[in-house]
Amino acid sequence: MTSVIPEVVNVPRINTAEFVSLTVFNEYGNIANANTYTFSSAYKSEVIDGLTYLPMGGLLGIGNQPHDLRVTSADTSISLSGIGANNISLVLTHKVRGSELKILRGFYDDNYILGNVYPRFTGIVTGYVIKEDRQNQDDTYTVAITASSYKTVLENRTAGRFTNPSSWRFFNPNDPSMDEVPSISGRAFDFGKDPQGYNGPAGMIANPPRRDRGGGPGK
Amino acid sequence: MGGLQTIINVSNGLQIDRRKVVGVQVSRNEEPRITQTPTLNPWKFTVEVPVVFKYSDARALLESLDYSDRIYPEIITFSDNHKLNWMFAYQGQMNQSQINGITVQSFVGNQLTLTNLPSIASTKVLFKPNDLIQIGAAGVNPYPFTSVGTVLRGTGTTVVVTTNRPNIITASVVGNGIIVGNACQFNMFCTNMPTYKLTVGGYKKIGNIVYNNALIQFSDSFKLYEMVSLA
Repeated sequence: MTSVIPEVVNVPRINTAEFVSLTVFNEYGNIANANTYTFSSAYKSEVIDGLTYLPMGGLLGIGNQPHDLRVTSADTSISLSGIGANNISLVLTHKVRGSELKILRGFYDDNYILGNVYPRFTGIVTGYVIKEDRQNQDDTYTVAITASSYKTVLENRTAGRFTNPSSWRFFNPNDPSMDEVPSISGRAFDFGKDPQGYNGPAGMIANPPRRDRGGGPGK
Repeated sequence: MGGLQTIINVSNGLQIDRRKVVGVQVSRNEEPRITQTPTLNPWKFTVEVPVVFKYSDARALLESLDYSDRIYPEIITFSDNHKLNWMFAYQGQMNQSQINGITVQSFVGNQLTLTNLPSIASTKVLFKPNDLIQIGAAGVNPYPFTSVGTVLRGTGTTVVVTTNRPNIITASVVGNGIIVGNACQFNMFCTNMPTYKLTVGGYKKIGNIVYNNALIQFSDSFKLYEMVSLA
């Protein structure tokens, strides 16, 4: 799927700002309990899809976002100024790892009026770094947030289901297929070999006939 | 008078930097492509100061600079004395009372719409390129804009001035008056605040007694940066 961005097609000059949305989830399993922080490199507050993106002076830079013909597992980073300590507080006092990060790119016209906005990156925050750089009398703080794209998240995801009752009933609460698994868990069991000296639960045939050998009682 | 204003008043060189945040790339066929970030586009001055201050006369200045350091901004202007007020002088054809009557109707992006215009000939020039315009009363919004082009009075009830940068003032400016020319103010702080060295000289004579003194030599020029974060 391609998306034509008229603001950059055959124009020699563009005026663009980046808008960052960071959604911090405060509680596991409850996506409603979340705080969303929005900031941008624009010169003033802008409202996009109902969210007000503040012209936060603390946004220092946004890392590279490789673009490829194929879907890539690209990471990106966002550098924030720690001056004022708000951003240090943001990463230290909130569960910033695992937060959802969205980066949009907006295009301004020659009169500095925001036009169309396009998504640029969507991912999950995987880490952060707080750096203090003090040289003589100059003291600077930087907070860097690293985010992975959703493709990386999906690659690391554990897919499918486990062969245990809880995992099985997660998909179908009435499915008892794996209910007996705990009872045989940890036992030596030779699949494909005739059972020996084991009488199963009531109703089970202790030595069922082997169909591949034409029936008859087992040994 | 603040320390930075004193420095401005005695300066013998002023470099003005109003460059925007821009990236330029030239393609293989030498076609240029330009990308711009819509920033607050602050004023940046580099002020060169000669060795003119005697230590005995500049104690207050030194204390003011030491206190301000790289921390506190100061409102400066170029109308402070007759040696400087030729800079940023108003070039239009309105008198002061006519300027005082003008108010802001809107300021969206870099389009400043003014109303309550004076009753003067439509061919009269209200602003010429590089004319400074400050929104509001003195000291309220010391973040001047410049007129990009020539603005004539015209026959309408409003005129639109294209400014050098977008409206960076967060408060509403509708209904505010304007200040123009060198009466405009700049809210600047010094990003490097030079240190100073006392060198032998400037002896002070009171009566028949000569007192030791020193001349003040600053370690660098003063790099002033507009405190746009307060706009």
